[in-house]
Amino acid sequence: MKNELEQNFVELLEKHQNIIHKVCRLYTNNYDAHNDLFQEITIQLWKAYPKFRGDSKFSTWMYRVGLNTAITLYRKSKRTITTQDFEGVSFKMKSEEYDDTEEQQLKVLYKAVHQLNDIEKALVFLYLEDKDYREISETMGISEVNARVKMNRIKKKLRTILNP
Amino acid sequence: MDELDLLKKDWNKKETHDKLSAKDILPMLNKKSSSIVKLLFYISVAELFFWILINSIPYFLSDSYRERMNMVYSDSALVGLTIFSYAVILLFIFLLYNSYKSISVTDSAKRLMETIIRTRKVIKYYVLYNLIMAGVSMIIGVYYSLHNDPEAVSFIEKTGDKGMMIIIGLSVIFTGVLVVVIWLFYKLIYGLLLKRLNRNYKELKKLEV
Repeated sequence: MKNELEQNFVELLEKHQNIIHKVCRLYTNNYDAHNDLFQEITIQLWKAYPKFRGDSKFSTWMYRVGLNTAITLYRKSKRTITTQDFEGVSFKMKSEEYDDTEEQQLKVLYKAVHQLNDIEKALVFLYLEDKDYREISETMGISEVNARVKMNRIKKKLRTILNP
Repeated sequence: MDELDLLKKDWNKKETHDKLSAKDILPMLNKKSSSIVKLLFYISVAELFFWILINSIPYFLSDSYRERMNMVYSDSALVGLTIFSYAVILLFIFLLYNSYKSISVTDSAKRLMETIIRTRKVIKYYVLYNLIMAGVSMIIGVYYSLHNDPEAVSFIEKTGDKGMMIIIGLSVIFTGVLVVVIWLFYKLIYGLLLKRLNRNYKELKKLEV
């Protein structure tokens, strides 16, 4: 029975693992930390799995557990803390770096997103995953109006980081 | 198109990490979690045992302490006090169990943070209760010594009011320092453990203003 449960879970996780990888990508800055967080999210998902009733989609359920682990439960290991700044250097955007090529813009954007705080990252993550404001508000536990207001502020903040 | 829409276009295109196979995932299920809830649980169990030991070891190990306790409290008062302290411990175990059970990783982020903070508060009140009890016992102990302990009585007879003030003063300072040190130590542990949670919770609360 346990084996069957385990097998089902692993199959589902294997299929939807990209969601966890994306959470890790947003909240960690190096390979080891990424794997560390991936493992912790997997453990939390597995612990909660017996209560998963299937009335929501497995992927939707993963978003919640994944973000909750990243924002609240996960204790950053020492090596993660020492590499807190993206790519080892504190990011300072200079206007001349922001050139017109899309690739360069994206690189800068990813760096800018890494500079946001944990809650802002969570909102950006859900936004990038194409979640509507109802789902964003339910996942975070804030009202839809506040989610919208915050999202607009984040957009402004990103703009300021990109064009100081 | 704003910045985030540009990012969104790219976001789902990239595979950023090697895909893990079922064989890689399976061993992870048996790994130990290092979440703050687990650590909080260990700390709360340790707190419970620590204070139970602190309160009972001297009574069972030291004859003179037992004699003194028996002298200070009459039999019925001692029984009453023991029952009361065990009732409080049971109450805290019940409250802790309940608040741990209410922590669910599938809740909304805000609710999850609130349930963890509530659990931490239960432990905080337990420590606070013990510190207050330690202070109260110290006061009762000093009061009793000043009136009944032959050594203390003769010391006061020799030195008068000044001696009494010295005993009271030293006891107050000693108790105060002890209580404050334990409290600070405790604040430090939880401060470090829940720093990130508190910061994120404040950030979420700020959205409601």
